[in-house]
Amino acid sequence: MDTHKDVQPPKQEPIIYICGECHTENQIKSRDPIRCRECVYRIKYKKRTKRLVIFDAR
Amino acid sequence: MAATQAVEEMRSRVVLGEFGVRNVHTTDFPGNYSGYDDAWDQERFEKNFRVDVVHMDENSLEFDMVGIDASIANAFRRILLAEVPTMAVEKVLVYNNTSIVQDEILAHRLGLIPIHADPRLFEYRNQGDEEGTEIDTLQFRLQVRCTRNPHAAKDSSDPNELYMNHKVYTRHMTWIPLGNQADLFPEGTIRPVHDDILIAQLRPGQEIDLLMHCVKGIGKDHAKFSPVATASYRLLPDITLLEPVEGEAAEELSRCFSPGVVEVQEVQGKKVARVANPRLDTFSREIFRNEKLKKAVRLARVRDHYIFSVESTGVLPPDVLVSEAIKVLMGKCRRFLDELDAVQMD
Repeated sequence: MDTHKDVQPPKQEPIIYICGECHTENQIKSRDPIRCRECVYRIKYKKRTKRLVIFDAR
Repeated sequence: MAATQAVEEMRSRVVLGEFGVRNVHTTDFPGNYSGYDDAWDQERFEKNFRVDVVHMDENSLEFDMVGIDASIANAFRRILLAEVPTMAVEKVLVYNNTSIVQDEILAHRLGLIPIHADPRLFEYRNQGDEEGTEIDTLQFRLQVRCTRNPHAAKDSSDPNELYMNHKVYTRHMTWIPLGNQADLFPEGTIRPVHDDILIAQLRPGQEIDLLMHCVKGIGKDHAKFSPVATASYRLLPDITLLEPVEGEAAEELSRCFSPGVVEVQEVQGKKVARVANPRLDTFSREIFRNEKLKKAVRLARVRDHYIFSVESTGVLPPDVLVSEAIKVLMGKCRRFLDELDAVQMD
């Protein structure tokens, strides 16, 4: 069960992504090459949302 | 003589034959048997009815109820399962869950954890009320983060050594009192029943951070609210030997039943079989696989003697659960009688 979506807040910081292999957090700004700092893995995952999600325990 | 015996058997015993069960239904309603007065009589009922507690400890109760019909006994069983309320987790507010266990699976598991809180001290939440008040809600916090253990041995592969907080147990749940709950409930009384239930497993970098709201509910709504694990009854077994069984056959006979049911005694040098304690039998019907002995025994159950077994999940003691079930049934009868009175007035 999800909560309501609210208006997109203005972007304040560059978004942190997680490398697929070494799991280190990389800050990627727009138009930056997509590459992990430590290893050469190029697939990144977004972090989990900071928003509250409510579930029914059923 | 034989006729009255047969009639008595038909009235009071459920007979287990080799290929089927006979006399299952109650037939002793008024007018069915000539010569018997079966009209319901309060005094006769009170004389025949009794409740005997056989065994009780903190979580399980075994008691006998003698002299009532199957419908009432079954009503108690169904009410114990589905209509005695408890408190259980209903809403899970997830702030962060980076574990392997998906949010909804985690929420489902949390709902099934028995919560040690007397449901009689709480009220049902009103329909449509999302926030909940202190009289109908309990709040718990679960916040665990797994980290790597810096002091672990270099080549160890034991997760208990390598990681810290990698197993999330119910003991990691903390109670957050709402309103005046801190005054009403002393420290440590509101908690999960068991503190060693494994909720999830984590690895370094993973975190679970959530809030849980518990409400009062009944098993009919969701099985997590059922206070028993489980409640059942069986009828008292009645095993009679139709002919004397002696010698080697007596030993064979005692092996066909659960241990303690049939005793073999030495009488004048011969071994004689005797039914010692039929209550212990679980009716495997092994006797019907023995061609010689199956004619010597009659397997039956006493139709109005119910052996109840109630096991509580730990929320309330089992005897309290039975009295709550009785109160629920009385409430239903009262509501029904009030309905009837209301109709008559029109």
